[in-house]
Parts: sequence; C-alpha cells; structure tokens
Amino acid sequence: MTTQSFESPAVQVEDLAKRYRDVLAVDAVSLSVGAGETLGILGANGAGKTTTVEMIAGLRRPDGGSVSVMGMDPTRDRARVRQVLGVQLQEGYLHGALTVNELLTLYRSFYPDPRPYTELLDLVELTSKADERFEKLSGGQRQRVSVALALAGRPRVLILDELTTGLDPVARRRMWRSIEQLQSEGVTILLVSHAMDEVSRLCDRIVLLEGGRVLTTGTPAEVVAEAGTATLEDAFVALTGQELPEMEVFE
Amino acid sequence: MSTAAPQHDAAAEPLPRPHRPGLRSLLIMVRAEARMVVRDPAGLITPLGLPLLILLTSASSASRAVLIEGRTALDLFVMPLVMVMVLTFIGVLNMPSFLAYYRRSGILRRLAVTPASPMMVLVAQVIVSILQSVLGIGLALAVAAIVFEVKPPLHLGAAVGVLVLCAAAMYSAGMIVAAIAPTPSAAVAIGLVGFLGLGALGGMFGGRDALPDPVAEIGAHLPFGAGVDALSAAWAGQSVDAGSLLSLVLTLVLGLVIALALFRWE
Repeated sequence: MTTQSFESPAVQVEDLAKRYRDVLAVDAVSLSVGAGETLGILGANGAGKTTTVEMIAGLRRPDGGSVSVMGMDPTRDRARVRQVLGVQLQEGYLHGALTVNELLTLYRSFYPDPRPYTELLDLVELTSKADERFEKLSGGQRQRVSVALALAGRPRVLILDELTTGLDPVARRRMWRSIEQLQSEGVTILLVSHAMDEVSRLCDRIVLLEGGRVLTTGTPAEVVAEAGTATLEDAFVALTGQELPEMEVFE
Repeated sequence: MSTAAPQHDAAAEPLPRPHRPGLRSLLIMVRAEARMVVRDPAGLITPLGLPLLILLTSASSASRAVLIEGRTALDLFVMPLVMVMVLTFIGVLNMPSFLAYYRRSGILRRLAVTPASPMMVLVAQVIVSILQSVLGIGLALAVAAIVFEVKPPLHLGAAVGVLVLCAAAMYSAGMIVAAIAPTPSAAVAIGLVGFLGLGALGGMFGGRDALPDPVAEIGAHLPFGAGVDALSAAWAGQSVDAGSLLSLVLTLVLGLVIALALFRWE
C-alpha cells in the first residue's frame, strides 16, 4: 500500500495535550488518519495511547490542541460525531445478564440505520452464541461482542483499544479477519496495540508514543528502517529503550 | 455562516444529521434494564418481600378498633408506614446501588460513546425502579385487602398524590447517594444508613411517639415521617398538613440540585 493515497484525513489531531495533576499524560501529539486508512498507536504502558484515543472519542476534554473526526469536534459536536464513530474501549463492560442478541438490539436502537443483526454476528463470528448471556462468554467472545456493538451504527471511523490483549492465538486471528473485512469496506481505523505482529499485519502506518509525545511515525517498514533493526518488535525496543510491556509468553 | 466552505473533506461525505435515540430506544432500554433485574431476582425479593413482611408482622398486632369512619389503626398507621418504607428502600438504597454498579463497571462509560445519552440510562433505571415500587406496593395492598380487610383511603386521590410525591422525593434523595457513592458497596452503606436513619426518625421502629420530643419533631420534617403523616391524613380523610408536603417538595428539589451538581458518569 502506498502512503500517499489517503488525501483527506478522517481524523486530524493537532498539538493535543492532557494533564493529570502534575503529569503531562499527552504532550503536543499531532497525527492524522486518512479516510480508509488504519493507523496503529503504539507505546509502552503510560505512553498516553489510551488518553489520546479517549480524547478523539470525546470521552475526555483536551487541555490543549484540537481534534477533528470527519471534520467535527468530538466534544462540541458530540451528537454528530457519535453517528460516525464506533468505539471499542479497553475493558468495556456491558450489561452482563443480557444475551448477545439483547445487547445488539439495545445498541442498534441508538442509530437511525443500524447494521443488520445477522451481518454483525457474522462479522465477529458469533452467530452460534447469539442467545448466550454476555457474562457466560469467554474473554475472546466478549471482546468480539464489544467490537460488534462498536459496529452497530455503521461507523466510518473505528477506535479499537487493546483489541486482542488477553486473547488466545485462534481468537486473535479470528479478530484480525473481522478487522480486515472492515478495512475492505473502507472503514478508517485507529488501533491501539501492544502486539507488534498485529500492528505489522493490520496497520498502514503507525505512531509510536513515549511519555505522552510522538516518538516517530511512518509505515511499519519505515519505522523498522529508521531503527535499523530486523523486526518491528526490535524497532519498538530500540526506539523506546524499553522491553515490550505485558506480553505474555506461552510456553 | 452558511457561506463558509465545509472544512471537512473526508471522502466528501455530507455531515450526518444529529440524531438522538428516541422513545423506541428508551423502551428497549427499559426492557433491557427490567431483564437485568428479573435475572438477578435477589434484588427483586427485597422490594417485593420487605413490605409484605412488615405488613404481616405489624398487621397482626395492630388494633382492629375502628378509629375514623370504619378505618382502623392498621389502615391509618400501618399501611402508610409500609408504603413509605417500600419507596424509601427502593429510592434510597436499591436504585443508587444499581447506578453505582453501572458507573463502577464502566457500563455508563461504554454508553457515553454511543448516541445514547447516559441520561437515558438514568430515566430507564427510574422507570424500572418505579415498576418495582408499584409491584411491591400493589402486592402489599392486595394481601392487606384480602387477608386483613384493609379499607381504601377516604381521600383516595390525595393518597395517590402523596404517594407519587413521596416516591419522587425518595428517588431524589437516592440520587444524592448515587452521586456521591464512589463504589457499589459505598452506595449500599450510605443508602442503608439513609434508609435506617430516615426510617428510625420517621417512626419505622414502633412509631414516633416512642422517640424523645425534639427527635420526633425532626423526624416529622424529614421525608419519611412527612410521607407517613401525609398518607395517614389522606387515609383518614383529613386535610394533608402543608408542612409535610413542603418537606417532601424540599427533599425533591434539594436532592435534584445536589445530585446534579455532584453527579459523575465515570
């Protein structure tokens, strides 16, 4: 994929800042995501990834800078932005006693032209679990429900925070297939991730954050070249000077 | 302003119309909330069982001597107490702990990134909660009428009005609990203290006559005591004391103001 094929940005972030008491969690972050592009947001724990996407989602008000989603400000134009933006939150809890079907019914009812049920279930491969209560599902299945709900309103922009953290290899691959389906539909995606294999596979470009600032940005290949390493994983370690966080090793 | 060129050109799409989920969505949410309650029946047993239990324990000992126009002590004192208790329990204890759980678990946060306003969740909660109150009070009334031959209030309209006002006041007080409680268990703790405190001062444990005068006086002006007094008066066909109504209205207003000032969705 070429990097210059995305001309009109779907998401534009300029000079974003967020302060928690004395700590500058996000400091002068600028990034832009072209329509239909998938941008990976990488960084160690505490690098400011989640805070950044929460400001893009309109959940937190920036202390400085600006956010534009499809030309709109998420805090000022909240109602409109929510029509085009789908969000899967890290640790997104739901009404546990409801079934997958009931949750989909609820979330679909929020939008004027929701995506049909069967399509949503199909997309996240959960058709067989439709009548199961959310609280009875496995971690991977819950995550897929969460993604299905984020897709209920046919979003043009999708924020996925820690999409596959804690999932087994089979569940991760299944999730990746769903994301690739969305990419082929032209959905713009912001993907917060720790998993370098996931980022290499799914992202057109990445932004590497450290200490709330943008360390580097480019295609995965460009970032690897810049670091002079063999893999993206090595590049991450070389550029941040840190070990990969929270990567569980199954032996 | 209309001549300004549109700033966004992402895929040259038109701006979406602002859309707020409507009544249909609210009904679906009410149904979802009701399912949550029914599927965790432990929460339902208390609002339904408690009034019945109070009724059974106090009704048998209440005097059957007619006091006013065929109404006994059971009608005039026990029934108002039972109803106000149900409302206080659900409003001050039950509803806030549900909301605190929603906040803690991130359900409100998840809804905040959809077009649904979290306010809709609140309205749905209150509706479901009112349904529980109606069920609890209805059940207690039915048993009271069939088993204990309880007679309806002489001023039925006034009684219903007082009941509605009392419910609003208790939910409003509960909203303060929901607003300030950081965790579900804190909500239960604060709600329990609120319920027992209001109840004790309002005559839940053997009538306000047993309390020292100043304490009884305070209790009469708090929503529990005021609610019981107002309902008693309506039952007896007397005019409802303005002071009681004022207390209920004041609770309603203060509760809303404080809760709105302090409320957090996260």
